[in-house]
Amino acid sequence: MFKGKIKEARICFAHPRVTLKYPFEPLEPPDGFRGRIQVDVEKCIGCGGCGNVCPSRLIRFYDEGDRTRMEFILDRCTYCGRCADVCPEKAVTMTKEFETATDNLEDLYIVQELYMGTCNRCGRCFETENWIDKIPTRRHREGALFVGPAMPHAKPVGEVGG
Amino acid sequence: MHSTGYCQALEKAAEIEVPPRARFIRTIILELERIHSHLLWLGIAGHIIGFDTILMQAWRIREPVMWLAEEITGNRKLYGMNIVGGVRRDIPAELHPKILEVMDHVEKETRAVLNAVVDDSTIRMRLEGVGKVPNEEAIAHSILGPSARGSGVAIDIRADHPYAAYAETGVNVIVETGEDIWARTVVRIKETLESIRIVRDALAMMPRGPIQAVIDKPIPPGRVACSSVEAPRGETHHFVITSEEPRPYRWKARAPTFQNLQVVPLAILNETIADVPITLGSFDPCFSCTERVEAVDVRNGQLKVYSKRELEELSRALTRRLRGR
Ligand code: SF4
Ligand code: SF4
Repeated sequence: MFKGKIKEARICFAHPRVTLKYPFEPLEPPDGFRGRIQVDVEKCIGCGGCGNVCPSRLIRFYDEGDRTRMEFILDRCTYCGRCADVCPEKAVTMTKEFETATDNLEDLYIVQELYMGTCNRCGRCFETENWIDKIPTRRHREGALFVGPAMPHAKPVGEVGG
Repeated sequence: MHSTGYCQALEKAAEIEVPPRARFIRTIILELERIHSHLLWLGIAGHIIGFDTILMQAWRIREPVMWLAEEITGNRKLYGMNIVGGVRRDIPAELHPKILEVMDHVEKETRAVLNAVVDDSTIRMRLEGVGKVPNEEAIAHSILGPSARGSGVAIDIRADHPYAAYAETGVNVIVETGEDIWARTVVRIKETLESIRIVRDALAMMPRGPIQAVIDKPIPPGRVACSSVEAPRGETHHFVITSEEPRPYRWKARAPTFQNLQVVPLAILNETIADVPITLGSFDPCFSCTERVEAVDVRNGQLKVYSKRELEELSRALTRRLRGR
C-alpha cells in the first residue's frame, strides 16, 4: 500500500521548485517566437500581400487618391505569422512581445499611410522610391551619367514596364 | 493536428505530393502534441480524483515539451506548422540534440510516474473496475482513440491508415483489456512512451530535402477529399470540397469527443456520484468540439435555420458591440 506513496514522495522531493518568477521577472521567449507583429512603413511597398493572406482578415487597405491607408486591427490577430512570411520587403516582422493584454483596444491598432506613385502609362502603382534613391551614396549616379549622343550599338530593348 | 487533417485533405483533392522531409516534420509535431496532451490529461485525471500530486508532477514533466514546441514552431500551442503542400518551418540540425534531451527527460520522468502510480493502491481503488466499457459495447458505440484501446479495441489511424511518416516509423498500437478507467490511464501513459520512441526514430530517419511542395497551378474546383488523423483523443476526420475561389466550398471536421461521449451513460450506470466526474474525464472530452446549436422559437417550437449571410451579420453585430462602436 505504501510502496507507491513512497515512490511518489521521492519524485516530489527530487523536484522542489520549478515555477518561474514571472511576472516579477521578465521572460524572454526563444528566437523565432511568433509575438505581436511590427510593421516598418519605410520598407512597405503597399503590395497588399499581407492583407491577402491574413486568415483573420484584419489587415485592410483603403485607396484614397494617391495614398493607401493600411489598418492592422490586431485585436483579432492569431499570431500565425503568415503576413511576415509573405511580405516581400520584410516590412512585417514578428516580435517577441507577448504581453498584449490591454484595456484600450487602440493599443492594438497600427494605422499607416503610404504615398503610392501611379504610372502615367499603365495606371498601376509603382514603388514610391526609386531603387537608385535607396542607395545611401546616391550622388554616384551623376558622375556615371553619360553625356552626349547615345552609343550607336545601344538600341532600346523594348518597352519597359506595362 | 487539425491543420494536418485539413492540409492532407486538400493535398489529396489537388493531388499535391508532400516532400518526405515535411511528412517527417509533421509526424514529429503530431507526436510532441500527443506527449503533452496525454501528460496534461494525466494531471487533470489526478486532479479530478483529488490527487493533486499527480497534477503537479505530470504538468512539471510536460512543461519542457511546451518550451520545445515554442522553440521549433514559434508557439507553445497552435503551432501553425502546416501549410498546404508541406510545413512552414524546418527542424534544423542544431535543434536535434535539444529534442533528444527533452525526450530523455520526459521518458525518464514518465516511467518514474508510471512506476509510482502502479504501486499506489489508493489510485487503483479509485480507477479499477470503475467506468467500465465492455469490449463489445466499445465496438457497438464505435468509440475511438485511447478510450477504445483501453477496452481492448486495437484501432489507431496511425497504424491502420498511415499518413505523414507513420509508415516509415511504424506504430505499436497500445491495447489494454481492463475496460475500466485504469486501463485507459495505462494506455495513455504507455502511448506517451511510444510517442517518444516515434519522435526519436523520425528524427533519425528524417531525409534531407525541401519542406514545401511547389504548387504552380490552382487547386481544381469540385474535388472531394477526406483525410483522417489520430488525435490524442481519437480519430479526427476532415472532409473538403474545393471551389473556384481560393477557399473550400465545404469543409467539415469531425472530432472524436462527440462519438466517445455516447458511451458515458453506460459507463456511469450503477456507479456512485463521486465516480461520475472521473468517468467522464477518462474519455478526455473536449466540450468545445461537442457544442452543437439548434435555434428553436419557444413560442411555436419552430426550428430556425440560419443562412451564411445571417450568421455573418450576427457575428459582425457582435464584434461591433464588443468594440463599442
Ligand atoms: S499574424 Fe496572422 S492573424 Fe496576425 S496579422 Fe499576421 S496574418 Fe493576420
Ligand atoms: S506584404 Fe509587406 S510590403 Fe506588402 S503591403 Fe504588407 S507590409 Fe507592405
